[in-house]
Amino acid sequence: MEVRGVAIVDTFAEAFTMRAARVVITAKNARWAREAAIKLTGFATSVIACKVEAAIEQELGPELTPDGRPGVSALLFTMGADDLAKRLVERIGQTVLTCPTANCFDGLPAAPTRLPAGRALRVFGDKFQISKVVGGDRYWRIPVMEGECLLAESFGLQKAVGGGNFLILAEDADSALVAAEAAVEAIAGTPGVILPFPGGIVRSGSKVGARSYKSMIASTNDAYCPTLRPLTASELPDGVNSVLEIVLDGLDAASISAAMRAGISAACRPGVRAITAGNYGGKLGPHHFHLRAIMAPDGAGLTAAARPDAAGGTAA
Amino acid sequence: MSDTVTLELRTPLDGPLDASEIAADRFAALDEREIAALRVWHGARAAQLGEFFAVTGGRAARVVVTGSTRHVDHLGERMAGGDLIIEGDAGRGLAARMSGGAVEVHGSVGDDAGAALAGGSLRVHGSAGDRLGAAAAGASKGMTGGEIVVTGAAGAEVAARARRGLVVCGSAGERAARSIIAGSVIVLGDMAGAPGVGGKRGTVVAVGVVEVPATYNYACTYRPPHVRLTMTYLRRRYGVAIDDRVAGGLYRRYCGDADDVGKGEILQWVAE
Repeated sequence: MEVRGVAIVDTFAEAFTMRAARVVITAKNARWAREAAIKLTGFATSVIACKVEAAIEQELGPELTPDGRPGVSALLFTMGADDLAKRLVERIGQTVLTCPTANCFDGLPAAPTRLPAGRALRVFGDKFQISKVVGGDRYWRIPVMEGECLLAESFGLQKAVGGGNFLILAEDADSALVAAEAAVEAIAGTPGVILPFPGGIVRSGSKVGARSYKSMIASTNDAYCPTLRPLTASELPDGVNSVLEIVLDGLDAASISAAMRAGISAACRPGVRAITAGNYGGKLGPHHFHLRAIMAPDGAGLTAAARPDAAGGTAA
Repeated sequence: MSDTVTLELRTPLDGPLDASEIAADRFAALDEREIAALRVWHGARAAQLGEFFAVTGGRAARVVVTGSTRHVDHLGERMAGGDLIIEGDAGRGLAARMSGGAVEVHGSVGDDAGAALAGGSLRVHGSAGDRLGAAAAGASKGMTGGEIVVTGAAGAEVAARARRGLVVCGSAGERAARSIIAGSVIVLGDMAGAPGVGGKRGTVVAVGVVEVPATYNYACTYRPPHVRLTMTYLRRRYGVAIDDRVAGGLYRRYCGDADDVGKGEILQWVAE
């Protein structure tokens, strides 16, 4: 299969079941909502070292936020519910509570599993805090030097999918970056999907473990490093001199499939030789996003793209 | 089986009719004949509902009451679910002790509407009498939950002794939020004297004229985030007309009642 002359490799991205929360931050204006959200989602590229994967999902107009102010929604992903509960307390407490004019609301109000981050953070108020119930939801008013910070008592948790990905194999580094930027732009703002790495792009894709260092959980993906072509079992076709990866986390497999389709399509441009994906042979992650199904001309493969395969995966 | 039960008052009443059996959740299990046979009290005389109302439909949790129902008392009392719509006025004790569901009144309501409300919503497009959302006589607690939104004026002692919940009205009579334990009272117009006296916790938001009791102490002037959140909710959920300057405006915060626990507040809107 080719898209505008770019080969789509017959492979799949292997992704994992994660736990996700959506945090909605509002502020006096969009600038301060973004400031809080940027801090909230900082240093959150991979659970391997950051304990959480997070990024801004989209900007929200006043008509879409609970308090009618400009806002930003962010998604946070961890492997377990306990981790997510801790990360929410740490991050909301240090980035939203501290940010001028910012308030924090739950973006998954229908989720039955609740993480009581606001309830935990209320004690910062040293018993001067006040609870209010609005529309059936409890909020905490925490007195701060500026005035008050308003936090939702709890945040919804839902099962989600982390680690959707595709690799852009390009003739040179500039072409790879231009293609990756186009992919990120095409995906940006897709509801339910984030790209947790810098600018949405990863240059240091990893493999599980390491060849030489037993303590390493992950190490460089040497099969896709162009400088190692003669030194390792390279997967790079001739003419490929640079590779960038797009990693996607999503609230469900369908959102990731749709975002991958948009991103891959945008990345298929001059200077790109092929699009492939990272997997572990289907042995680790239950969600398998088959590139050729995702890129089927009529889009019919979108829902089937995360199908189980012979390796024992389950439908996403 | 229909999706709505309609009760049409046959003739105007010459005295109060106690119709506490009219509640949407109870009608869901009754057919038309059973509804018509429910007991009502006209003064001291027991009678059947069908004597006063023409009943249409059955086994539905949506009930519409039409006619001149100003003297029909205790509509929706202890209701736990469903929708009760009253096209005209309602008498005393509307939705008292209600724990769930929604009551909407297109006219005005008498005293003790929403008294000791525990849940659900009461929407009144006209005005309300005294003790809106207040405690029943002799009770230590008033509302313990739910929402009451009155477009027009409310009488004295709005939300007296409220423990939880939200009461909104266009204006309020004397002693609003008297001895309030917690919860919120929002008055979008003027308030008569002595609001929040004896209050332990709880919030009184006064958009119009208010005489803050001497036992409430000024703290600061600021933009309370929960007021904006609540007013945004009221606009979206109930269609209440609230100006942006009010929803996101500056408020003078007074803490009190200093004669009691003192953790309550009166928030007085400051026009900019």
